[in-house]
Amino acid sequence: MQQYIVRRALLNVLVIFMVITMVFLGLRLTPGDFAVRQAGAQIPQHSTEEAKEIVRHDLGLDKPMPKQYWEFVSGLFQGDLGDSFVSKEPVMLELKDRLAPSIELGILQIAVAIMVAVPIGIISAIRQDTWLDYILRMFAIFWLAVPSFFVGVLLLYSLARWAHWSPPITNYKGFFDDPLLNMQAMFLPALAGGLAIGAIIMRFLRSQMLEVLRQDYVRTAWSKGLRERAVVLRHALKNALIPVLTVISLLLATVVSGNVVLETLFQVPGIGFYVVNAIQQYDYPVVQGVVLVMAAGLVFVNLLVDMTYAWLDPRIRYG
Amino acid sequence: MLAGQERAEVEVLAVAEELAQPQRPGWLLLVGRFIWRKPLGAFGLAVVLLMAAAAAGAPWLCRYDAEETFRVANPSYVPGSAEPEEKLDSRSGPSWEHWFGTDQFGRDNYSRVVWGARRSLGVGLGALLFAIIFGTTIGIVSAYFRGWFDMLVQRVMDSIQAFPAMLILLLLVSLTERNLITLTMGLGFVVITAAQRIVRSAVLSAREDPHVEAARAIGCSPIRLMVVHILPNVAAPIIVIFSIGIASVILAEAALGFLGLAPIEPPSWGMMLDEGRRYMTSQPSTMLAGGAAITLTVMGFNLAGDALRDILDPRIRLS
Repeated sequence: MQQYIVRRALLNVLVIFMVITMVFLGLRLTPGDFAVRQAGAQIPQHSTEEAKEIVRHDLGLDKPMPKQYWEFVSGLFQGDLGDSFVSKEPVMLELKDRLAPSIELGILQIAVAIMVAVPIGIISAIRQDTWLDYILRMFAIFWLAVPSFFVGVLLLYSLARWAHWSPPITNYKGFFDDPLLNMQAMFLPALAGGLAIGAIIMRFLRSQMLEVLRQDYVRTAWSKGLRERAVVLRHALKNALIPVLTVISLLLATVVSGNVVLETLFQVPGIGFYVVNAIQQYDYPVVQGVVLVMAAGLVFVNLLVDMTYAWLDPRIRYG
Repeated sequence: MLAGQERAEVEVLAVAEELAQPQRPGWLLLVGRFIWRKPLGAFGLAVVLLMAAAAAGAPWLCRYDAEETFRVANPSYVPGSAEPEEKLDSRSGPSWEHWFGTDQFGRDNYSRVVWGARRSLGVGLGALLFAIIFGTTIGIVSAYFRGWFDMLVQRVMDSIQAFPAMLILLLLVSLTERNLITLTMGLGFVVITAAQRIVRSAVLSAREDPHVEAARAIGCSPIRLMVVHILPNVAAPIIVIFSIGIASVILAEAALGFLGLAPIEPPSWGMMLDEGRRYMTSQPSTMLAGGAAITLTVMGFNLAGDALRDILDPRIRLS
């Protein structure tokens, strides 16, 4: 088991390293570099080679590629991701501030998804093929198709139109600074993203429950005369939830993808919002930093999820 | 006597011949059965056909040019004043002239939705063709040769799949000139991993089939084996990948448009949603037209794809 963890962790480091190298090269070998934009923006008509050279020199982009790469990698090991081209602040520092809202949003969405999906999935399965089941499944199909950003826009629209309320967009406060203000900014994106993921989890949980409910040990539980609540929650649900956990871990990538859009829409100052801005401004160090953080976070969370299987299901052994 | 017997014999034979004919139900009956058995799938297919018609017949179905700006008489114009006689007919609600209203530049929303179908479906079609050509090739070759080669290819695919699709797309739009062709290929690239995994598992079982073994025994070359004898076996999974994958590609393209990271021409539903939300409290028509078009199309492809999967190959699960 320990050996397995170490091997997976090392493999993950290798994968992340490959990705970051690809990003480094990709950003520098393709047209549209920051110098062109910067030189052009400051002196629109005179974005001459000379002006570009000055900007390139300031940012260290005129150094030979291997040297840039070496500085980048050695900085990485010291926890230094370089400075942002635009704000001149260290990327590490900026990322630290932006990580908390993104993680909070992700957790809130998964929480919303589970709160919606688990009860609905269970009811839909134990009342299979009744009108209630059909209504709940239609509900899931609908939420699966509506893009989360459209749900977000519709939520904003209806609240502004009929409740004359819109979320505080400026002066974002962290959860621990001002929980009330933070929740006002967070609950809409959490709802919009959570419902979409919830629909996927619900469909999957339903089919898992249907399978588990037909197994022998569940029939034994029924014939012992247990109440429905005990059979469903204590016997069936526990086993149906293990594969659901896999789906949730697979959905993390979807969550990260979706939140790039939702953070931009709701102006949540997380890493998704940050990276979209950075891309528009050709801010290489920021793009590199965000890609590194997202990739690392994702592969290690996946590892963590694999670990929890062994804990949840003692039959699973990693060798 | 003899003649009567002969006639009877002929009649009996005719009946037998009729019975021996395989019962071929008329296509109308088949369509009817499909609608009866899979009402949701039929609804999805109808939506898909509608959108395909809009995409194919955009020049005839649109009522105006997508970029044409409309003007109306200015109500605050009085002869002799500095006010212009006409103003832009922008942000209008639905009317007979403009079924879905107009956007902030006075362009007809209905015509833009119709042209948007051509963009969305075109990008979806192109991306899926790209993904299927590469995914099928990789899947077949990987499964055919197995061993260390298969191992290597699958690990590379795993590491690509570990990344949020949105991250790959964001990198792509930040690295390259924004045009529809690179965008289409990028969207296709994201689907390759899932496509090749499904094709690979289908090939792994197909390559052990007696007819493939027979072909190998008579000395077919590996290429002939793969193309002539194995490829036809994976047709069903490929159709399923296509119908389900295209929905997620259309959604991703809309998300990029919504973020303002996609090329601005031809009209894009995602961009209509983004532009429309900026003035939705005064006039929601543009926002609703764009969002509803995305939702309806994604739902159509999802439902049609689910039904096709149930019919063609119930074992495949894409997500």
